Amino acid sequence: MDLYPVWLSFQVATSATALTLLAGLPLAWLLARRRFPGHDLLAGAVVLPLVLPPTVLGYYLLLLIGSRGPVGRLLGTLGIELAFTWRAAVLAACVGSIALLVKAAEAGFESVDPRLEQAARTLGRSEWSVFWSVTLPLAWRSVFAGTTLAFCRALGDFGITLMVAGSIPGLTQTMPLAIYDHVQANQMHEANVLALIAVAAVTALLMGLGRLARLRF
Amino acid sequence: MRRAALALLLLSAPVSTAAAPPAPQPFTVYAAADLTFAFKEIVPLFEKAAGARVTLVLGSTGTLAKQIENGAPADVFFAADSSFVDQLQGQGVVIPESRALYAQGRIVLATALTTGLDLRTLGDLARPEVRRIAIANPSHAPYGRAARQALESAGLWERLRPKLVYGENIRHTLQFIQTGAVEAGIVALSIANAPDIRYAPIDPALHQPLNQVAVVVKRSARPELGLAFLHFLNGPEGRPIMKRYGFLLPGEF
Repeated sequence: MDLYPVWLSFQVATSATALTLLAGLPLAWLLARRRFPGHDLLAGAVVLPLVLPPTVLGYYLLLLIGSRGPVGRLLGTLGIELAFTWRAAVLAACVGSIALLVKAAEAGFESVDPRLEQAARTLGRSEWSVFWSVTLPLAWRSVFAGTTLAFCRALGDFGITLMVAGSIPGLTQTMPLAIYDHVQANQMHEANVLALIAVAAVTALLMGLGRLARLRF
Repeated sequence: MRRAALALLLLSAPVSTAAAPPAPQPFTVYAAADLTFAFKEIVPLFEKAAGARVTLVLGSTGTLAKQIENGAPADVFFAADSSFVDQLQGQGVVIPESRALYAQGRIVLATALTTGLDLRTLGDLARPEVRRIAIANPSHAPYGRAARQALESAGLWERLRPKLVYGENIRHTLQFIQTGAVEAGIVALSIANAPDIRYAPIDPALHQPLNQVAVVVKRSARPELGLAFLHFLNGPEGRPIMKRYGFLLPGEF
């Protein structure tokens, strides 16, 4: 049987988690450490993807990045196709999971005693250096927990991916979509195998990461 | 600190190597869910005959149409009715000259053998043993729309409404019946021929004909292959298979 969806899903979830960290960590830091107009609005907007039903969210995202959408057209002029490619699956997984990272990291950053950061600044550290040497190491566990949650959510995304990436076998059909497809075609054996692989792989991964999390930074 | 940065790096490292795009797929057929079983037989035959690899994407006609409208990489689209193809034609995303009727669908009243129920007519759905009835979502699945029309024509729609459960597409609807989640349902004849399903025909006069239309998508890089698939389906190799799955074929109705 075709195990490509498993491979694709892990690629997509890994890429999405990297993207989520890249965008989510600065966002979480901003929400935790800065006050600015629209702060609360942004804090609310971050969790919206968790509130909207995934397929609905996916539909709006498709209107944005599809060949007729503003973003899709812009990318099209640059020769980049986003909708219905594996990149769209990455974007979908990222949109679906970023709130989990941001919320956890924000709480982590807030729990860091500002006086420690202040002390680093008096010693001449730049804001960048303060973040990497004081804030992040102290908030490490929360960030780690958020990252793990985001990865798992990215791996399991169904609705958003279905809408923006389609369910194209061998191209954008991720593991959750493949399992759903097998179930609907009454191929229960294939569905069970894929589900079992997914559960086993993630369990092993989380056990490994759990050990990593106990390390001190 | 260095180790934290390293961990971050490790997390993002696989991206560059792992995210290499898979090889481009040459030819993609978007097909309504009622074609699931028939196309699983026809597609391999066509692949052999045409020497091309076919990627088959199945879903509800409405969802697939929405995706094609927004640039999905479909070469040819087999809809479960004509209205969605009309819409796509209006938007100029399909080639109007390629449009062809390839089948007429039928709906049936289906129950799982395990329920022990023997339902013959739509009126039987009102029986108290039938607690839940599955139909495909009438707002975007053509077979759901036909099911609703049939129930309305039979004067049962309002009465049965509290019992109705909507499947996302016709395969999903069948799944509700097969798993015993519902006692009965209205599905396409083309997918009802399963060993664990008992079904009875529904008078086609009760609903608008399910004229199934296919069309080649304008952005297709290989429109000739799309047309060839359409001809194959309507030809001596495709027709017997479609017939076996209970479709009425062009020229027979």
